[in-house]
Amino acid sequence: MIEKTSVLAQPGRRAALPIMVLLALGFVAPLLAVVGFSFMPARTFGLWHEPTLENYETIFSDNTYVSLFWSLGLASATVVLLALICYPVAYGLVRVFGRWSTVLTLLFTIPLVVSENIRLYGWVLFFIKGGVLPGTLRTLFGVEMGDFLFTPAAVLFGMVYVYLPFMLFPMTLGIAMVPNQMREAARDLGATRWQVFREVELPLSTPGLMIGSLLTFVLAVGAIAEAKVLGGQRIIPITHDIEIAFTYAQNWPLGAALAVLLMLVVSVLVLIVLRRFDLDQILGKR
Amino acid sequence: MFDSKLSRRDFLKTSASAAATLAATQVGPFAGAAHAARDKELNILCWEGYNSAQVLDPFRSSKSATVKAESLTNDPTMINRLRAGEINVWDLINVNNPWARKIMLPEKLIKPLDRAKFEPYFAKMMPQFKPPYKWAMDDSGKDLLGMAQRFGPYSFVVNTDKISRKTAEDQGWDLFNDPKLAGRFGILESDDWNVFGICCIAGFDPYQPHTPEQVAKFEETAKRILKNKKVVGDIATMNQAMISGEIDCHLTGGTYSASPARADGHLNLRGVTPNKGPLAGGKGGIAWIEITSVVNNPHGSPLAEQFLEYVQAPEVAHTVAFAEGTFNPVAQMGNPECFKLFTKDQLEAIQWDSLEEEMARSVEYDIVPDYDKLLDIWNAAKKS
Repeated sequence: MIEKTSVLAQPGRRAALPIMVLLALGFVAPLLAVVGFSFMPARTFGLWHEPTLENYETIFSDNTYVSLFWSLGLASATVVLLALICYPVAYGLVRVFGRWSTVLTLLFTIPLVVSENIRLYGWVLFFIKGGVLPGTLRTLFGVEMGDFLFTPAAVLFGMVYVYLPFMLFPMTLGIAMVPNQMREAARDLGATRWQVFREVELPLSTPGLMIGSLLTFVLAVGAIAEAKVLGGQRIIPITHDIEIAFTYAQNWPLGAALAVLLMLVVSVLVLIVLRRFDLDQILGKR
Repeated sequence: MFDSKLSRRDFLKTSASAAATLAATQVGPFAGAAHAARDKELNILCWEGYNSAQVLDPFRSSKSATVKAESLTNDPTMINRLRAGEINVWDLINVNNPWARKIMLPEKLIKPLDRAKFEPYFAKMMPQFKPPYKWAMDDSGKDLLGMAQRFGPYSFVVNTDKISRKTAEDQGWDLFNDPKLAGRFGILESDDWNVFGICCIAGFDPYQPHTPEQVAKFEETAKRILKNKKVVGDIATMNQAMISGEIDCHLTGGTYSASPARADGHLNLRGVTPNKGPLAGGKGGIAWIEITSVVNNPHGSPLAEQFLEYVQAPEVAHTVAFAEGTFNPVAQMGNPECFKLFTKDQLEAIQWDSLEEEMARSVEYDIVPDYDKLLDIWNAAKKS
C-alpha cells in the first residue's frame, strides 16, 4: 500500500492549519485585494472589471515620483540621524548610566502610550508663533525665531522624534550583546579606546544597528502624520498620495497601485540590505 | 470539569463544528434570521457630531439599542462606500444636499421616507426649509428623500484683527489673488471644497461645465495659491495658526470651521461670505445643507426612521448643533422651542447675527461636473 504523503500528514502542519487559514484570510487576502484593485480601471469599485495597467501608467506619467522621493529621502535621513543620535544614548544606557538606565528607558517609552498625533500637536504648540519656544526666546532674550514650523525640517524633526525608540531599543540590545571580556581582551592587547570601539564594539553591535535601521526605515517610509501636522502639507509623502486617492479622489485602483509600488520599492530596498548584511550571520547563527 | 474521555481529536472536531455553525449563521442561509433581529441596532454613516455620545446615548438607552456611527469628513467617500457594497451595513447616511436627489436616489442607494410622517417637521424649520424643500425631494417633487438639520455658509475665514470683515466681503475671493497675501494664508484640507474655492478665485462658477481655457486657468490658479500658502491642515491647525498669528485667513471655511475657535472666545475669527462673485446670480458664497437619508439596506433597521424623528426634537436638535467637533446652525432653530435653548455665546459662535444675509449671498453646494479632472489637477499641483 502506498502511503499518502499529504501536506497535512504531519501533525505539526495540521496544528498550524488554523493559524495559516487565519493569516491567509487576515493578511494575504487583503494584500491580494490591493494588488487586484491596482489592475482595475481608474475610479471603479469592484474587482471584476477587465484588468488594465492604466494606474501604473498614470503613476509613471505624472509627478508621483516627487512624493516617492520625499518618502524615501526623509526615511533615509531619519535612519541616518537616528543612528548618530541613538548610538551614544544606547551606549550610555548599557555601559554608563547604571541604575539610572531604567529611569531613562521609562522616559523614552512612556510617550509611546500617547497617540502620535497628540504628541505632534504638542510640538506644534511648542514651535508655533508665540508658542513655547518662540515666545520664550522673544520674552527672555528678545530673539525672533525664524520659520521652522510648516517646513520640511519640521517634518524631519517629527520623524526623528517619533521613531527614536524604534532605533534606540534594538541598538541597546545590540550593544548589550557585546561581551565585556572582548572589550577587556582588546584593551589588554593594547588597543586604544577608539580601536576598541571601531574594531570590537561597533562590529559586534551591528545586529542592533541593522535591525533598528530596518525597522525605522520601514516605519518611517510609511509616515504621514509628521508631514501633515508639523509640515503643514508643505510636502506630500507617498502615503498621503495613497490616502488622497482612497478618500477625496475616490480612485481606489490608483491608491492600490501606489500602495503596491511603495511595497515593491521598500521590499527591494530591504532585500538589498539584507543581502548585503546577512542578519543570521551577524547574529552568529551560522 | 472536562470529560477525561474527550480526546484531542474529539475536541478539535467539536470546535470545528461549532466554528462552522457560527460562520454559517453569519454568512450562510441562516444570515436572514440574524438580520431579522435588527430592530435593536442602527448603523449611521455621518459627518462628525451625529456620532457623539451626547446625541446617541439618550437614543441608545431609550431604545435599548446598539447604535454605531462612523464619522467621515467628505461626501464622496461615504457615497462610494455604499456603492462598494456597504449598502448592506448602514441604515442612515448624512451627507451634503445634492447627493440624495442627484446621485443616491437614481443609484437606488437610499429610499424615500414616509412623506405624511416627516414633512410636517419641515413646516417647523426655518423659513428657507419650508416644504417641499428642494434638496429633500426627488426631481419629480413626489418623494421625500431625507431630513434637513445642520447647514451653514462656507467660503473662507479671516482674522478680523488683520483683515476687516468689510474688506474681506468686498474683495471676496480676489483676496487670495493679492500677491501681498503670499505666506499669510492657509488652506483647509477639504479638497472637494478647495476645488470650489479655486474655481471662484480663478473667476468662474465651479458648478457649470468648464472650457479648456477655464481648466487651464484652474491649474494656474491652483499652483499659484498652493505656492503662496503658508500651511495646509485640518480645522484645528487652521484655527491655531490664525490665533497664533501664523496666518491671517484661510480657505475654504466658514461657520463650520471657525465656530470651535469662536466658542472659545476668539470672536476675531470670522467666516466671511463675499458680497459678490462668479457663482449663479453673481453670488460670491457657497452654503451647505446636510440631508440625512435612509439607506436602501435590504435588511434595514426600523430604528432608522425613529432616529430621524428623534433628532427633530428641540433639545436633541440643539445638542446636534453643539455636538463635539464643530458647531453649526440647525434648521430646527425656526422652532422657538429650539431657538430659546441657544445661549448668547452659542449664537455668537455660529455667527447668528449675519447668518441670514450670508445664506442669501450664497448658492447651495452642488456637484462639479468635471470634479475628477479638477481634483487631479489640484492634487498634482500640491506636489509641484
